[in-house]
Order: sequence, then structure tokens, then C-alpha cells
Amino acid sequence: MSALLEIEDLNVTFNTRYGAVTALDSVSLHVNAGETLGVVGESGCGKSITALSVMGLIPSPPGRIAGGSIRLNGEELTTASPARMRAIRGAEAAMIFQEPMTSLNPVFTVGAQIAEAIMLHQKVGADQAMRAAVALLDRVGIPSPDARARDYPHQLSGGMRQRVMIAMAVSCRPKMLIADEPTTALDVTVQAQIFDLLNEIQRDFGAAIVLITHDMGAIAEMADRVAVMYAGRVIEGATADDVLDHPQHPYARGLIDCIPNIAKGDAALREIPGVVPPLHLLGAGCAFAARCAHANNRCHTEKPKLAAHGHHPAACHAVQEGRI
Amino acid sequence: MTEPTVPEPYVAESPGREAWRMYSRNRTALFGLGLLFVILAITFYGSFFYAGDAYDIVWAPHEPPMVTPEFPLGTDYLGRDIVTGMLKGGGPTMAVGAAAALITMVIGVSLGALAGFYGGWIDTALMRFTEFFQVLPALLFAMVLVTLFSPSLWTIAFAIGVVSWPQTARLTRAEFMKIKELEYVTAARAIGAKNTRIIWKVILPNAAPPLIVSAALTIGVAILFEAGLSFLGLGDPNVMSWGLMIGANRDQLLDAWWPVTFPGLAIFLTVLAVSLVGDGLNDAFNPKLRER
Repeated sequence: MSALLEIEDLNVTFNTRYGAVTALDSVSLHVNAGETLGVVGESGCGKSITALSVMGLIPSPPGRIAGGSIRLNGEELTTASPARMRAIRGAEAAMIFQEPMTSLNPVFTVGAQIAEAIMLHQKVGADQAMRAAVALLDRVGIPSPDARARDYPHQLSGGMRQRVMIAMAVSCRPKMLIADEPTTALDVTVQAQIFDLLNEIQRDFGAAIVLITHDMGAIAEMADRVAVMYAGRVIEGATADDVLDHPQHPYARGLIDCIPNIAKGDAALREIPGVVPPLHLLGAGCAFAARCAHANNRCHTEKPKLAAHGHHPAACHAVQEGRI
Repeated sequence: MTEPTVPEPYVAESPGREAWRMYSRNRTALFGLGLLFVILAITFYGSFFYAGDAYDIVWAPHEPPMVTPEFPLGTDYLGRDIVTGMLKGGGPTMAVGAAAALITMVIGVSLGALAGFYGGWIDTALMRFTEFFQVLPALLFAMVLVTLFSPSLWTIAFAIGVVSWPQTARLTRAEFMKIKELEYVTAARAIGAKNTRIIWKVILPNAAPPLIVSAALTIGVAILFEAGLSFLGLGDPNVMSWGLMIGANRDQLLDAWWPVTFPGLAIFLTVLAVSLVGDGLNDAFNPKLRER
């Protein structure tokens, strides 16, 4: 069975004042129909760029897809015409953004905005679209949807707005839903509700979800499979259980170690020392080497490839050499 | 025991309604709006009571005001009634102002929106074009245009519009550059909206408040501009306007102050009213002055 979304050797470059930098370096991912793929990593690892590439929303210039392919349902997206991409966006692949506070248009009612999204892709009248919008608001758990449809975004709470965004995203029943840190801006209690809603929506609509997050808890709750990204590369990929229970790459181990564990009697929050290096300063070796306790000479001079060794694929010399 | 209070049903308020609520709290702005209505009403209904032709010579020249009851504001150097002139001239004066403001907004918003939205070479080309118009002395350029196309109300409105749009274009461009980076624009793209739709239906409504203010203020400037052109003898000679009255009577100002003063006062009050409305709109749309 071929996957719903297949990303192969995707390279994305950005022109900056330091010259062209590689934001995505040979990224390969796939998502099967109806499953949830978690994409994790710190800020600046290329998670959002991957999502925007799929949607064809890389700001260009300065960004550019320099190579590789993205196939949705077997259809190549990197070479699709702008008109075709517009038809795909919203109808076949939809996106939920990080900031529900700013991702709704402040001058239109939320009902009108959902109705608009429906009318962009389906030949329905304004009345019918509005009724569908109210039904969707009801579906995403917004109380008295009739009245709320006439509200402006600033009159709703953050969690409500994210529900509206989800309603808008699923309005045309896309097969592919990309959620870019959908709960980062929300309270913890609301986060859990939104995840529950995404799970329900996935069951009802049969959509595949790409969940972009830096929250390992969200991965544990939501994802079937996980891809760990670091500095524009996928460095580890496996089922969520494998990655959470047996992380291979030192970076993935670090991320999981960062989850506070009261049972282990953690007194202070752990961290991975250092930061993601700026993309224009990436050298020849492993991008994580400078922060890695297991780095040797080879790590500083040769980029590790994503290869299976032991438990599941990880791009790490130390793992592949059996040093850790 | 008192009845438990039932919370008022929560009624959503549209941005326009909210702006009006803020506007109506501002006394000077309300005064400006009232003054504008009074001026419009007088010039509109007044011409029914003074049905005569403003160009007709009806009395001796330079009759001072408040002497003959039929001519309460006196007559001008040819013996034309000043009240009739004021009432007949108000409409064209304000029409030219409004038409010029409309032309300014149409040119300025279109070019500014394209430049701000697309950026890159389109922005560079359009902004160089804008600067070309901006560095020309506005009044001289307008005079050249009016002379070239022979003075009429339309050519005057056109000329004022053509020399006034660069500021609107720059304002629109700045708003578009700011708003296009916001997440709801990306979100609109992500549901499959076209560029044209994003420009007109997503960004423009959000950029509207400063543009509405600028439009109101442009009307005032355009009225003054028309008066200035008429004063220089470049008004439409066939249509009475306040500027034309001032222009025609200015040589006799030392002999008779009234044929110039009353139209001047009318222009002053109209521009004042329009400016107060513009300032009031500015405050009403400014979220920082709005209580939450």
C-alpha cells in the first residue's frame, strides 16, 4: 500500500544575507491514511518548514524547494501549478496554526470565515455554507454554535478559537491535516481537550494528521509514528512507542530525558545543553555533535546517514558504531 | 429574597458598530458630524428657497450685507446675490472635494495595495512611479493639468486626485506590508484563497481604518485645493463654487469685504467639519483609545 503523503529527499533552501542556507536537508517522511505522524524537535529544526512545503506555502522568495519530491495521494506537489495547489489547499490538505489568537481574520465573524472556506471549494450558496459552518462549530464542541457563528474572533477564548480553526480546517473533509503546534499557545487543560477533539475528528473524518510539536507528552498521547528532526534533517524515525521507550539518537534521548518524571524523583528540570546551531554555520559533520556527549572525530567531519541499526533507524555514528 | 439576575444575552458587536459607539462618545467629532450635516442640509434645501441663478445680476453692485432685506449678505462687484451664490456654490464645492478624494483613494489604494502585497520589483517600480508624482509641486502640477484639459468640475477633481494620491499609496503600502505577514493571511492561503481574494477580502478590510480616516481628511484638503485653483482663476467658470466667488471678488477686497469673507467662512467651516469627522474616525478606529 502506498502512503497518503510521501516526502522524499526534500531540500529547501533560503536566501539569506549569509548566502543560501539549507533549511531542509534530504528530508524523507511518509504518512499513511488515517494515521498520526508526530514531528518533534526544538524551534528552528525545520518542522514548520516541512509543513509549509507540503502546503506549498514556503515564502518565496527567499525560500525555494531545491530538490526532492512531495507526493499527496500519488500526485506530485512540487511541480503542481499554482491553481492546482490552491485547489488542494483546504480541500485535500488543510493546516491548523500555532496561534489561534492571530490566525483568524479579526474583521469577519467566525461563521463567515468558515462559510468562506467551504464556498472556496464547494459549489454551495451562502446560506447553505453558513448552515454547514454552524454544524461544524457544533461538531468541534462549541456551545450554542448558532450564536457563536456570529461572534468575532476577539470575542472567543484561545481554546474556542482553536476549535474554530479546526472546524475551518476540516470543513472540506481533507485527507491530510497538518497541525503546527496546535496547542502551544493554550492552557494545559485546554490542550488536552484539543487533542481529544483532534483524535475524534480523525476517527470521524478518517484524516491523516501530521502533528508538529516539541511536546513529547503530546507525542505520547497522539502519535502513531514519530520523526525526530534536528537542524533540517530527520535524525530518527519509528513508531511512537519505539522512540519514546528506546530512543536511539542522543538528541532523541535528550528530548525524552527532558520530560520531568516525578516517579524518578526529579528535583530540577533537565535540559539539553546548547542551542540548535544557526543554519549558515552548519559544518561538514553531524549538526548535533557540538552538543553531544558521545561525539568523536568522525561526528565532527562526516554527516551520519539515517540507517537502521539495532532497534530502529537513527542518523548517528555513535549508535551505528555501537558506542551507545 | 431577590430574583437571581439573569445574565444579559451576549450580543456580538460588529467592528463598524463598535467604531460608531466609540465615535459617538467623542463630542468634538459629533459636533463635526453635526456641522457637516447642517452645511449639507442648508446647501441642499436652501437652493429651493433661492431658486434664482447665481450668475444673475439682481441689484446694484457692492450692496453691503444687512441693508436690503432681500439680500441679507449683500451683492458682489457685479450685483449678484451672495446668498444665492453661497447656496448654489456649496454643492459643487463639496462634490469636487468628494470626487477628488474618491479618485485619490482609488489610485492610491490600488497602487499601494499591489506594491505592498507583491513586493519585489513590482513594489520598486510602483514606488519609483509614486515618488515621481510626489516630488512634483502639487499646486503647480494641478494648475498645469487643469489648464491642459480646460477647467471644468471634472478636470479639477481629476487634477486634485492625480496630485494627491501618492500619500494614500504610501499609507496603503505600509499597511499591506504589515498585515500580509500576519498569520491569518497565511491561514487564508492555507484554505486555498487566491491572491486577489487575499488582497481585497482579507487584507483591505483590516487596512481600512487608517484609509477611511485618510479619505475623510483628503476631502477637506481637496475642498481647499479647489478653492485655491478657483482663486487663481482656474475654477470652472460655468459652475458657481465658493472658491470661484472668492476668486472673482478678490480684486475688490478692500472696497467690499463681504463677497470674499462669506464664501471663505463657508469653506473654513466645511473643512473644519470634515477634519473633525476625520479625527473622530481616527480615534474611533484606534484600538489603543478603545476600552476593552
